[in-house]
Amino acid sequence: MTEQKKGKLTNVLDYLKHEDPFSKGVAFCPGCGLELLLRFIPQVLGNDIVMTGTPSCSAPVLLGQNNQSWHKLSYFGTLMTGAAANATGLARYYRKAKIDNTVVCFNGDGTAADIGFGNLSGAAERNEPFIYICYDNEGYMNTGIQKSGTTPFGATTTTTPLGSASKGKNLRRMNLALKMAMHKIPYAATATLSDLEDLAKKLLKAKEAKKRGFAFLHVFAPCTTGWGYAPENTIEVCRRAVKTNYFPLWEAENGKIRMTKTVKKPKPVSTYTELIKKFAHLNEADLQILQDDIDYEYCMLGGLSVLEGECQLPVSLED
Amino acid sequence: MNTKTQKKSQIKVITGNAAAAIAAKLARPDVVAAYPITPQTEIIEQISQFHANGEMDCELITVEGENSAMNAVMAASLAGGRVFTATSSWGLVFMYDAVLATAGARAPVVMVNVNRETPGIIAVSSGQQDMISTRDAGWIFLIAEDCQEVLDLVLQAYRLAEDYDIQVPVMVHYDGFYLSYLSEGVDVPFQEDVDAFLSVLKDQPERTKLVPGGKLGCGSHGILGGYLELRYKHVSAMERSKAKFNQIDQEFFEIFGRSYGGLIEEYRMEDAEVVLVGSGSMCGTIKTVIDEKRDAGIKVGLLKIRMYRPFPGEAMVAALKGKKAIGVVDRSLCFGFKGGPIYTELKAFETQLGGSKMISFIDGIANTDITTANVGTMIDTTCDLAAGKEVREVTWVSYPEAQEEGGL
Repeated sequence: MTEQKKGKLTNVLDYLKHEDPFSKGVAFCPGCGLELLLRFIPQVLGNDIVMTGTPSCSAPVLLGQNNQSWHKLSYFGTLMTGAAANATGLARYYRKAKIDNTVVCFNGDGTAADIGFGNLSGAAERNEPFIYICYDNEGYMNTGIQKSGTTPFGATTTTTPLGSASKGKNLRRMNLALKMAMHKIPYAATATLSDLEDLAKKLLKAKEAKKRGFAFLHVFAPCTTGWGYAPENTIEVCRRAVKTNYFPLWEAENGKIRMTKTVKKPKPVSTYTELIKKFAHLNEADLQILQDDIDYEYCMLGGLSVLEGECQLPVSLED
Repeated sequence: MNTKTQKKSQIKVITGNAAAAIAAKLARPDVVAAYPITPQTEIIEQISQFHANGEMDCELITVEGENSAMNAVMAASLAGGRVFTATSSWGLVFMYDAVLATAGARAPVVMVNVNRETPGIIAVSSGQQDMISTRDAGWIFLIAEDCQEVLDLVLQAYRLAEDYDIQVPVMVHYDGFYLSYLSEGVDVPFQEDVDAFLSVLKDQPERTKLVPGGKLGCGSHGILGGYLELRYKHVSAMERSKAKFNQIDQEFFEIFGRSYGGLIEEYRMEDAEVVLVGSGSMCGTIKTVIDEKRDAGIKVGLLKIRMYRPFPGEAMVAALKGKKAIGVVDRSLCFGFKGGPIYTELKAFETQLGGSKMISFIDGIANTDITTANVGTMIDTTCDLAAGKEVREVTWVSYPEAQEEGGL
């Protein structure tokens, strides 16, 4: 992390240069991680972004009803299957018409990692000039807490419930951010709500990078309602996810991975899972499986960041 | 078709697909997004080449699937751009959610669909089943008979889709394989005339656009009255598009010297007692057989459907009223009904036809040729119906087994 000004815990307020375009009271659950993220993005990037999004927890607030709206942003509410393609169409037309633009394709993990992954990958491969932000609440929260590709091992959802033959999701989670970095796009990064200055910097880097092409942000955004933790613990859940390396913070420019926060002594994953009801049934052996997966992913990340330093991407392919 | 001589074009021998690609180029779209599928592929190959040669100044998005093609052009259209895409068969099915969303958003997208079957048994062959399976999507559907009409309809489609009073996406259909790969002489207009034809669109009020800082949302929750209002306005715009299309046909004639009659084309209909109703490439064959039958003294005519959605019911009633018998030729199926889809829809107007009898012919499915002999059989059977003889309501012309053992 960066140096902080004396006497300040964080410099994050310095990054909030634009007004909050959202109404003061909106239809999110108390303690919603998504709401903080949604209000944060336009305050950092500006209110002239064009945001697109899909049916999800964000939809009740972003979409509005008939001709009423909760916010002042230009917004396109669209289909989960084609979210990245919609953003592509907007960004390409603005480019053709020489209209300055920052298109932010804002989706949950269901769209990004599951049903819309194909066109997300396609847009990254074509290096389309916009910012894609996945807010990851590890499942389909809006439809009532179902499992997605980013739901972690052991978590209960309504489609991975507890039962005599089930201890929750019996599969590991997809590492979406790493997959996207492997597209060698100008910018890919992870971020979360306990490290807002880091998030703000990454948003600005993404905005800069989209001049050269595709920028992807994977933001860990816990769900108090779906995961079963106290609403006041949203930031603490994020903090512990980082401190256990459950959700490490890094960025990758043209695929070159760099840790933006290194945890010197990572805590065991149980210090993270103990806050959250969806993991409450896991015994020590189960938690060890989750821990092993976290260690493996982190080791991979570290290995890749070293390898990327050794293996040079041809300069001509970087931009 | 009415024609007048003029010196504003050049004749080129090209395929239906090339005609579509050239028409797209002439329309100067801002954004083209497409994905290859047989028999449409040649269109995007040609557009890619135009783009590579610098002849086409558009954003070309070579998407990873048809679903993305439709989503990209829908968004680009709502942002204010002129857009083009093309697909066929499974491609149309794969983009179906976005096809519906595009119509609901009233995005003035123009798409070419090269008709091909969409069954469980893979059939890389012609048929209108893809068109029929999407007919209630809320798009305007136009159907071309030959390569010339492919080119002309794509140009007319922009006038219709982007008209301020319409703002409904338009799909131009033509028969895969029969027209997609058929080379014939096509009168290719000059750019300045196409520009003049489309310039009307610049003189109308600007449509609502999604732009940065515009504080405008698209795709909000339409609830209760709000949703009903938008749906009603959509249906009303579809109705208005009928008169508009007739008007566009006339204006097209003024500039390019070709008129097709608008919603429907009538061939030797004035004194006809017996009529075949058809659409697409089959109509060329039907016209040839009608000429022969006329020589033999049989009063038969053709009603060709050019605009299929909205359904040109009133125009068809006006043309068919008082005819003794009508045979409707369908190149697709209407599962749940014995007769073909166009036959089934025309039946809704039966009481307005003044006693005309109607029968259904199913033919041309999965590249079974609608031969002159087949058309002869259809005309003879319809004449039998006119003469009061007992005939089947539904005939699968190329599959006599359908008529065995009680059949349909």
